[in-house]
Amino acid sequence: MDTYILGLAMHPPSPWIVDKRLEEMVFDTAKAALDSAGIARKELDHITIAACDELDGRSISSMLLSAPAGAYLKDEIKTTDSGLIGLCLEALRIESGRFHLGLLSSWNKSSKAPFEDVMRMRCEPFYTRDIGLNASIADGLFARAVKGAYGICESDVNVAVQASYEQASKNERGMRSAVPSLAEIEASPYVSVPLRKIQQAPVTDGGVSMVVCSGKWLSDHPDRRPLARLSGLAWRIDDYQLGEERLSKLHGFAETFRKAIAMSGLQDCSQLDLIELDGQTGFHEVAYRRVLNPPPTCQVSPSGGPFAQNPYFCTGLVHAAEAVLQVSGRAGAVQVKGAKRAAAHGCHGFAQQGNAIAVFEGV
Amino acid sequence: MPKHRVAVIGVGETVFKTKIDDKTYVELAQDAAKAALDDAGLTPTDIDAIVFSMAPTQFMGVNDVDKWAVDSIWASGKPFMRVHTGGATGGSALHAGYAHVASGMYRTVLVVGADRVTETRDAQHILNLIWDPFYEQDFALNTVTMTALSTQRYMHKYGTTEEQYARVVVRSRKNALKNPYAHLKGNITVEDVMNSPRMSWPYKLFDICPRSAGAAALVLANQEVTKERCSRPAFINGIGGTTSTVFMGDRVGPRTDAELSDEAEFVSAGKEAYADAAITNPIKQIQVVELYDPFSSVQFPQLESLGFCKRGEAQNLSDEGAFDMGGLLTVNPSGGTLCSNPIGVTGLVRVADAALQVMGKAGEGQVAGVQNALATAIGGSVQFVNCTILGADHV
Repeated sequence: MDTYILGLAMHPPSPWIVDKRLEEMVFDTAKAALDSAGIARKELDHITIAACDELDGRSISSMLLSAPAGAYLKDEIKTTDSGLIGLCLEALRIESGRFHLGLLSSWNKSSKAPFEDVMRMRCEPFYTRDIGLNASIADGLFARAVKGAYGICESDVNVAVQASYEQASKNERGMRSAVPSLAEIEASPYVSVPLRKIQQAPVTDGGVSMVVCSGKWLSDHPDRRPLARLSGLAWRIDDYQLGEERLSKLHGFAETFRKAIAMSGLQDCSQLDLIELDGQTGFHEVAYRRVLNPPPTCQVSPSGGPFAQNPYFCTGLVHAAEAVLQVSGRAGAVQVKGAKRAAAHGCHGFAQQGNAIAVFEGV
Repeated sequence: MPKHRVAVIGVGETVFKTKIDDKTYVELAQDAAKAALDDAGLTPTDIDAIVFSMAPTQFMGVNDVDKWAVDSIWASGKPFMRVHTGGATGGSALHAGYAHVASGMYRTVLVVGADRVTETRDAQHILNLIWDPFYEQDFALNTVTMTALSTQRYMHKYGTTEEQYARVVVRSRKNALKNPYAHLKGNITVEDVMNSPRMSWPYKLFDICPRSAGAAALVLANQEVTKERCSRPAFINGIGGTTSTVFMGDRVGPRTDAELSDEAEFVSAGKEAYADAAITNPIKQIQVVELYDPFSSVQFPQLESLGFCKRGEAQNLSDEGAFDMGGLLTVNPSGGTLCSNPIGVTGLVRVADAALQVMGKAGEGQVAGVQNALATAIGGSVQFVNCTILGADHV
């Protein structure tokens, strides 16, 4: 691929950002990304937004938020799947040859909206809505399915959760939450059997912006140095119905990963230095590891993943930002020494119906 | 210029009407998808990726409703994304689909969507909620009152009369008689429009589009597939889009960047698309336009901003019949948005109807000798605009 990340910024996460309106969050993040790339807004030839009306709490939320995202009098398109799908759309626009320098922004301020109600309203009205399905219950169904399919014990999950919190506590860009003891995790209440409260990554507010450019733009601007090259990208959607196959087999995750890696010219994850996984619960984290079986040379979620910050709609794009920081040597306390290749994973849609994987290389 | 050429090789539409009670939302989307695939001579397995066109889901009451449609449109296991830019969604979705193919990453893309605007009892209440809760919602703003305000400003600037807008409605309903999918159609008179109930000055009921249910789909393909499958494609030769501020007050006055009543965002969007498509004289090179016109007053400023005539001239050209079927420029031979408005796919319907004209498949509504057609879409507070140029030959 001929797409490069020129700069990025993440808004500091919080369970509830109370001192800013959403448009201020978006503006601050977009501006910081432009500043990090040394780019003026007038230089941009397009804008891509990834946002969710329902989580933003208003219809056509980009009406108010497109200008803070830098889109005033620019060619702008919004996708509603996830932040990482926003990167897919942005990359397609760059790869089309029609655009060369863009700003991608995604955000999540679900403290404004009742998160589980929004998730429940994703259920169609005939069968699943009356059951009361929401994100936690769907994750519980997932946990039960992968527990059987991969022989996952609760102790495996608890160790993984604790390890994620420990790693997250080192990440200055994350929440730096207290690390729970195994006893605390075991004693936390069930939200949806077998899933316990502390095994879930708490949802936070947050946002991320990236300045993305083409190889041609870089050729025309030899004084600019990108942070990373996007070398592989794949995304896919799976069945809406929550059958055993969809919940337990992780076909979507595995196949998306395989395609993204192949696009990068790699064979498997042993050739990666790290992968940032979208493990929304400890069960997800363990199940994904079982599918990938990464060797010790490939670190998994050095940022702490969603346990560091989890601005739900754009968590996958946060992972992409963390991966870019890693391959550019800017990941700070969670830097993987000598990282040159990194993958980022994001889930989206009804009960994690969709998966996206982006692979980055240091430049 | 794009890396790879992109063409429309299949078009599918359902009928548009107030309610379609014998189909679910996902079945509507499936109907359009199947029609487009059949038109292209493809099967679902031939499709590499899907772009879903859907505006606010509040109209039909299922969040992320596109995900519900996945199985029905044979998208499972494939790359899939939904695009949403309000009323401009269909045009933006088309542009996203174009990027898929132009990038060289995909050979074929299905752009599909559906809407059921009447699932909510009061669409204009939903459309009031698009406004800022602190400053604007209490002003009873919705899309009717919003565009009525800009229409008043346009009338003040150019001396346009209500009768001139009524003639647009008469022409649209007449054109729609030849469109089997159109929601509203018929031979009505200027007096009928003038005598319809007053809604928000200068609008009467007939100046306003219906709330429609229905679906549309397009199959886009690269040059290789196009050559194999379609003898008369519609090449996507130009795309352009411009987003403006939500605040209407910032779009009026001598120092504004893009005047609200002129829909001046179309100047830059058109410039982009024309540059792609090598259009230097729109009125000479383009034979058909499918304009996004949910209100009778929306055509004139678009035509002027897109360079078909000078400011303030469109109303007189309209009176003279220049925009009638087979006139100087045929405007909305399908009947346009004034006759069918399934909001989440309306922009896509505009492209579909323009593509049909280029492909020579517009049936009784076919305009002779169409080499280039232009389709537009508008969303938000008339702040998201985009346009697409389709050609019988590639640039």
